[in-house]
Amino acid sequence: MNKQKIISYTLLLVSILAIVYALIFNPADWIVYGIAIVFIPCFILSFGILTMAKPIDDEKEERDEEPFIGY
Amino acid sequence: MDISSLGGDFLGIIPLGDIVLYLTPFHLFMCVVMLLFTFLICISKTETQVEASFGKLEDTKVSVGLNEFKQRRFLSIICGIATAGAMITGDLFNFTLFMALIGIVNIGIVSAVKQTSVLNAAYQYGLIAMMCSLPLFGGAAIILASTGTLSLFELSNLATTSAMTVFGALLLLIGILGESGVAPFFATKAEMFRTPGSPFLVIIHLSSLFVVIRAIEILLIIIKVI
Amino acid sequence: MNLMANILINVITSFLGGSLLLGLHRKIMARIQLRPGPPIIQYLLHSLKFFFKETSLPKTASPVFYISIVCILAGIWTTGVIVGPVTQGSLLIMFGIYAVYKIVEHNMGSSSGSPYGKLSCVRAVFSAASEIPLFAVVALIFFQTGTLSIAGIIHYQSVNGPLIFTIPLAGVMFFILLLTKSPYSPFAITKGKELISGYETEHFGFLRGFLMFSESIAWFIMSWLFLTLFFGPLSVVYYVIGMIAITVVTAFINATSPLLNPNHSVMLQITIAFVCIVGTIIMMVV
Repeated sequence: MNKQKIISYTLLLVSILAIVYALIFNPADWIVYGIAIVFIPCFILSFGILTMAKPIDDEKEERDEEPFIGY
Repeated sequence: MDISSLGGDFLGIIPLGDIVLYLTPFHLFMCVVMLLFTFLICISKTETQVEASFGKLEDTKVSVGLNEFKQRRFLSIICGIATAGAMITGDLFNFTLFMALIGIVNIGIVSAVKQTSVLNAAYQYGLIAMMCSLPLFGGAAIILASTGTLSLFELSNLATTSAMTVFGALLLLIGILGESGVAPFFATKAEMFRTPGSPFLVIIHLSSLFVVIRAIEILLIIIKVI
Repeated sequence: MNLMANILINVITSFLGGSLLLGLHRKIMARIQLRPGPPIIQYLLHSLKFFFKETSLPKTASPVFYISIVCILAGIWTTGVIVGPVTQGSLLIMFGIYAVYKIVEHNMGSSSGSPYGKLSCVRAVFSAASEIPLFAVVALIFFQTGTLSIAGIIHYQSVNGPLIFTIPLAGVMFFILLLTKSPYSPFAITKGKELISGYETEHFGFLRGFLMFSESIAWFIMSWLFLTLFFGPLSVVYYVIGMIAITVVTAFINATSPLLNPNHSVMLQITIAFVCIVGTIIMMVV
């Protein structure tokens, strides 16, 4: 497991825990706002990094070098 | 007028001598966003800009040199902190000072670039910013002379607005528009964005937009139509 | 209800609702142009599909901003959901959110190093100069109602009738803003097709899916804001009807009008803003 995966799993876990914490324990309003604004995007980001397909090693250099593919 | 009708529920005041800072969700949001962007600028590298070459079928890659990078990053961070200050200050004179600082630093961020067209744009923007510091500070001075206070918290508690205060507020608006380089002065400023260095360009744009929004709040506090 | 649950439900509703509305937008544009068009659910499927696509970081990009700017877009529109439907807070915060939206266009374009994105970034500066005066509609609303809190404005309208009858020109200004943000809009100079996809060109893979997630929330919240600010307290059914109506009208306009060139777009928006501000002030005084 590489570094990127570990970080994303940690981030995913932290954001889920934070959202669940706010759901169950009902903390003060401003804490809930903070959790929502920070951790909803974090959740989607880490989820996206985990689900995305990675370029195969032969093509990786080419993908990084020639990014302007449009659609 | 109640301040909370503008920026949302009143969160509290920070009494610093005769300058009373006050906090609403609006100020907090703007300040936090500015500090977030400033932090991202601290940790980010610049991009390499790809341009078409003239007369050849090749791309030219333009990047930011190390010395230029250091200089521009330093000025960008100052600009971010100054804008965050302008978002949260409760004193009109502090606001104008932050505004002037943002204007100066914006020129600095761009003038480190070695491209004639960009430097030209920065020079023209600098001229406008310099000329507009007179109405900026003059407006604040007229408001002080006609109301006797520069604290926005005090200004919001005044019952009426005299004609002189409205005049001062309009001068202040002209000053802010010129210093932040928005319409009708935006043409020179847009030219400044043709250079590489996206983290530094973003703070120039962000600071002027946020300052205009804060200025609208301040003008609505000063001018009492209702 | 639990606050977090409220926020989550609202975020998910605005994502699903916004995606379906944007899908409907595409469908209507296609039918006007005599094409069958994709199914209405296609926009939603696209945003989910992109999460499983191949993603890599361009060598020329500025990595921190390249990724974080997409998160910032999601963050500000989550804030938009909180300030809008959940707490009905201050309109000035909405103004701030809109400004950050412009910044996201600007920075997303320049952080990739692509020439298309860069042009879009420069155009974002031009368009901000004309869209921010349009958003000055908040000042007109303040002069009319004496408050900028969305809850206060709803209350004002429940007593005095919808604002669209008292300050219709301000409504026009806000509608132009909505039109600017709709896909294939005549004013969408930052996303013009001569720039491929403008600032979105280099954000492919899951970042594009993330982007589409935020943009559907943005579309939903902005139409919600328009309906709330100008048509007073509405029930859920009227919100649905209103949002569909806005989507249909913008789709008609976008399908039949060409993309304006940047100068014309800016001048037209500035002219509309000027006429509407002066007109509203005259109407208020008289």
